[in-house]
Amino acid sequence: MGALEIRGLRKQFGGVAALAGVDLTIVEGEILGIVGPNGSGKTTLFNVITGVHKPTAGSVTWRGRDMTGVPAHAVSHAGIAHTFQQAMAFPGLSVFENVQIATEHCRSTADFPWPTPDDLIGFTGLQALRHETAGVLPFGSLRLLGIALALATRPALLLLDEPAAGLNDKETTALVDLVRQLPGHGISVCVIDHDMSLMQRLCRRLVVLDFGSKIADGPTAEVLADPKVLEVYLGGAL
Amino acid sequence: MTDSRSPLRGLVLTLVLFALLALVPALGPSNRLLSLAITAGINIVALYGLSVLFGQTGILSMGHAALVGVGAYTAAILARDLGLDFWAALPCAAATTALLAAVVGFPSLRVSGHHFVILTFAFGQLLTIVLTNGGDFTGRATGLDLGQPVVLFGMGLDPLPQFYLLTLGFVALAAIASWAIVHSRYGRTLRAIRENEKLAASLGINVGRHKIGAFVVSGVFAGISGVLLAYFLRHISPSQFASFPSIYLALMVMIGGARLLLGPLAGGILVAFLPELFALDPVQSRILYGICLIAVILLLPNGVIGGLLDLWRRLVPQRDPAERTSSNPARAGREG
Repeated sequence: MGALEIRGLRKQFGGVAALAGVDLTIVEGEILGIVGPNGSGKTTLFNVITGVHKPTAGSVTWRGRDMTGVPAHAVSHAGIAHTFQQAMAFPGLSVFENVQIATEHCRSTADFPWPTPDDLIGFTGLQALRHETAGVLPFGSLRLLGIALALATRPALLLLDEPAAGLNDKETTALVDLVRQLPGHGISVCVIDHDMSLMQRLCRRLVVLDFGSKIADGPTAEVLADPKVLEVYLGGAL
Repeated sequence: MTDSRSPLRGLVLTLVLFALLALVPALGPSNRLLSLAITAGINIVALYGLSVLFGQTGILSMGHAALVGVGAYTAAILARDLGLDFWAALPCAAATTALLAAVVGFPSLRVSGHHFVILTFAFGQLLTIVLTNGGDFTGRATGLDLGQPVVLFGMGLDPLPQFYLLTLGFVALAAIASWAIVHSRYGRTLRAIRENEKLAASLGINVGRHKIGAFVVSGVFAGISGVLLAYFLRHISPSQFASFPSIYLALMVMIGGARLLLGPLAGGILVAFLPELFALDPVQSRILYGICLIAVILLLPNGVIGGLLDLWRRLVPQRDPAERTSSNPARAGREG
């Protein structure tokens, strides 16, 4: 049994089913990738797991505990963190104050590898920007700050929504190195991105969503070779 | 919060300023001036609460005078029915106002932004109606009288210079309390909500609870301000706590600068003394307040004090790079 079990998850926005009954398991210690065309329900899936939206139907179970429709702050205290597609921080506050606030509301867990704000600022390589106001950070640094904030909650599962969007090659490589370290520290990862080379470098398992339904789930190489995936996701072009 | 390196310096400077203001009665000011200063001071106590709500949490209340009114009526009713004096009324009024703020805040803060502003405005109007129609209990439109002055160590504080010092003492306490909140973990939590509610929630902050909490905290300040007002005027009536006084309180905190320790002080003093300075009648001063508000929103998003600080930073070159972070355009642009 996986750490996170999603069964028959539906999310209806008016007449549109953003999620049309998704089953998904995230296994403890893995880095799972989720891909799909725009509007396929990837971000909605994260939003429903993390309590931003309440699901229309279905269930989310986290380590045996029912988490369906639990509010966002309680999801965070249960050990699920997420970063936002639009790299989000507290723009008017300094980098240090941003991370400090996040650490002050973390759940209580024993031996977390980065207990203090400065540990997290160090781990994400933001030392030089410690006193800067988050609102003026370059985009790549803002993404890293977003990850530092999510990690500050001491998660056991980290959901990353397009963490490499807008990053250059060097920054993307740094991000891959950073994310790869997380399972070793007891943090499972689930990542949404459009960058296939990033996904191949990060994830052993890939899930493909299309129109709110899961159309493929398996080892990354197999999924990317699946004719159905090529047809739907890449328009048959490859 | 502007200068995270030396928050204590800001507090000490402010307290020195209060010490200087305590010397004012020794200069033999007119009763008119003292009376205006006391009125300003009573407002400033409420403004320090409003600065926690608006400056830190980013929530604007347009019904704050109603909370001041709850404090004032609590003091008057307790004095009349139970013979409680000023000092006993303080905790009771603070508790009553806090409770009412929670009752109003709980449903109101489920909506955000402008909707909350409208709800607080409606609450202010509602309170006026309740007070006017409360029969003998609230004294109807005539209001209530307070028989007893404030007594401290057996000495009546009725003369204006004494009441001025009493008010100044409460202003100083309010400033210290607001400073302590701003620089605490709780203050940081409120700022996180102001900056990005969605992110704050995702980091484990119970946004709804803390917003109500900030409203309750600002209610305590308002309640104490109300007790002072009741004992200063010795007569209170519903119209004092209607919509215009509420709008003035919001205006004062915006003009002074809601995020800075000296902001409420400057806002309260400016709004109290401007009409006096230019010899304006009430209608003219309302026009002037309106112009001031527009000017502040457009030109000085951090209020008069924020504008002065920015000017100071521009004139005096900064040596410490950490200092720079507080005056950048991104921050100024975030001000509501």
